[in-house]
Amino acid sequence: MAKIIEEKRDGQPKLIGRRLAKTARTLPRGIAALAVALLFLAPIYITLVTSLDTTKDVFQFPPHLTFDWQWNVYARAWAMFRWLMYLGNTVLIALTTIIVALATSVLAAYALSFIEFRGREIVFFLILLVMMIPSEAQLIPNFVILSWLHLLDTYAAQILPYGASVFGVFLLRQFFLTLPKEYWEAAHLEGAGHLRFLWSIAIPLCRPVLFTIALFIFIGSWNSLMWPLMVTQSHGVQPVEVALARFLNNNSVDWRRLSAASIFTTLPVIVLFFLLQKYIIRGISRGEGING
Amino acid sequence: MATNSETVYYTRLKRNRRWKNGITAALFLLPTIAFLAVFVYVPSAMALGLAFWHYHLAGVNTTWAGISNFTDALQFSIFQQSLVNTFYFAIMMVPSILILSVLIALLINKTTKYYSFIRTFILLPYVTPVVGTAIGWLWIFDPTYGIANGILHALGLPTSQWLQSPSMAMPAIAIYSLWHGVGFDVIIVMSAIASMQKTVLEAAAVDGANAWQRFWRITLPLISPTLFFITIVTTIGTLQSFSQIFALTGGNGGPEYATTTTLFLIYETAFVYNHFSYASAMAVILVLIIILLTVIQRYIGKRIVFYQ
Repeated sequence: MAKIIEEKRDGQPKLIGRRLAKTARTLPRGIAALAVALLFLAPIYITLVTSLDTTKDVFQFPPHLTFDWQWNVYARAWAMFRWLMYLGNTVLIALTTIIVALATSVLAAYALSFIEFRGREIVFFLILLVMMIPSEAQLIPNFVILSWLHLLDTYAAQILPYGASVFGVFLLRQFFLTLPKEYWEAAHLEGAGHLRFLWSIAIPLCRPVLFTIALFIFIGSWNSLMWPLMVTQSHGVQPVEVALARFLNNNSVDWRRLSAASIFTTLPVIVLFFLLQKYIIRGISRGEGING
Repeated sequence: MATNSETVYYTRLKRNRRWKNGITAALFLLPTIAFLAVFVYVPSAMALGLAFWHYHLAGVNTTWAGISNFTDALQFSIFQQSLVNTFYFAIMMVPSILILSVLIALLINKTTKYYSFIRTFILLPYVTPVVGTAIGWLWIFDPTYGIANGILHALGLPTSQWLQSPSMAMPAIAIYSLWHGVGFDVIIVMSAIASMQKTVLEAAAVDGANAWQRFWRITLPLISPTLFFITIVTTIGTLQSFSQIFALTGGNGGPEYATTTTLFLIYETAFVYNHFSYASAMAVILVLIIILLTVIQRYIGKRIVFYQ
């Protein structure tokens, strides 16, 4: 309001003047925002600088912030561990978890929204109850159960405990409840069963929801450390986070090597983030990323 | 009006259909319930059971322990310290997350391309794997060559031993955790602000409320349910943190147990020292504390949060 009054009093200011005034008004905020963003980027930038440093430049105080472009340390760090295998394990575990969890969630959510049966509310409550039990309670017993099943030190040990996604069931059920019941009635009249309707109508419609759930399961799976540390010993089935933690312990003084390993194991996630950030932000805004 | 035989027919059809529906639903729900039974329901009950026995993985010499695992844990000085550490961490994290997420959200709360670019960079750490980015931070916190001391030195402030000092290790881990996690909360606060009715703010502006008053009297009460939600999620998340502590302390929760949180101690007791039952008792205590805290927070939340 004040602005409009002022402009009227001064008469019509020139276009350039107005634009300049606007820039002057918004510039401090823009700079402050940029500073915050750089603060968040700095640790990754510093890691990159360190990984490309010459040996001499690493140990310099105060630290410098320009690139030396010494790529050779990447080759050395890459050759020390079977990184490709570990990355492959991580991707394999993440993707299998996604497939299993999506399959179980879609079926359960469908039953809880499209099929009328006695005890539906009780079953839904039992599933929601899981959200209220802190996961620490299951940590040690799950290890014992997996040892009874002779599944310790396998891929399965890292996938099966996440085979059901309460969060997935919850989101998908919410989505299914928004679909008109007439869809199902029409399909039923045409002779389709529940499975057929689910596969050809409901799943194609809920693809965006499935994608969001998959995305957050993927982030969670890639980031998990404690569980794989507990249930695996053979390097052959370990994910890249566990391998990187071991690499960190073995090379705790060689900052260039560590930084290089940090960069090439984190890069796939960063690239993926920039490609899919729109969906991640949308997922978080809608409260879908909470338990991913 | 339906005839009697028709009614019977439809009742039977209905019953038949309900029976068939029941079977279909059971089959659809079976995978989820089976997974939850094996990995959530049964283990949750087992956790209690394990804590009252002396259990060994080999299955030999399992003997009744009564409440001895609990009393031992409560008297164990490192367990006590781990509880203190856990709360110390939570008390540093929750207010910092709340204040920073609101400040950053207010700063970048614009719809231009420039600001959405900035928002992306602030969220980036949230998706990065913890061990990977912890490496950069270990280097930042290096007492001799790190940039953290470099900045303190340049400002003429006393430098710190950071992760190698018992008093600064936990704050250093909190700084890392803030960097890693706050972007998530910024997005949540921004979406809460975006869903506010703009007319209320405009009306207040017309009535002569300045930006400061508008924030305290309108924006803050309107987003308070979101802030309350963040408080609960951050509290629980902090009590459950493990990766950053493992990565930043070389996997030992040091120095001098200064960063050994209860979850970290449970992990060590069970999987490094193989005392499953003892660790289970600790886990049961932690779980009870988490549940108690959530209940208390909800109780307080109901009193101070403004729901429309």
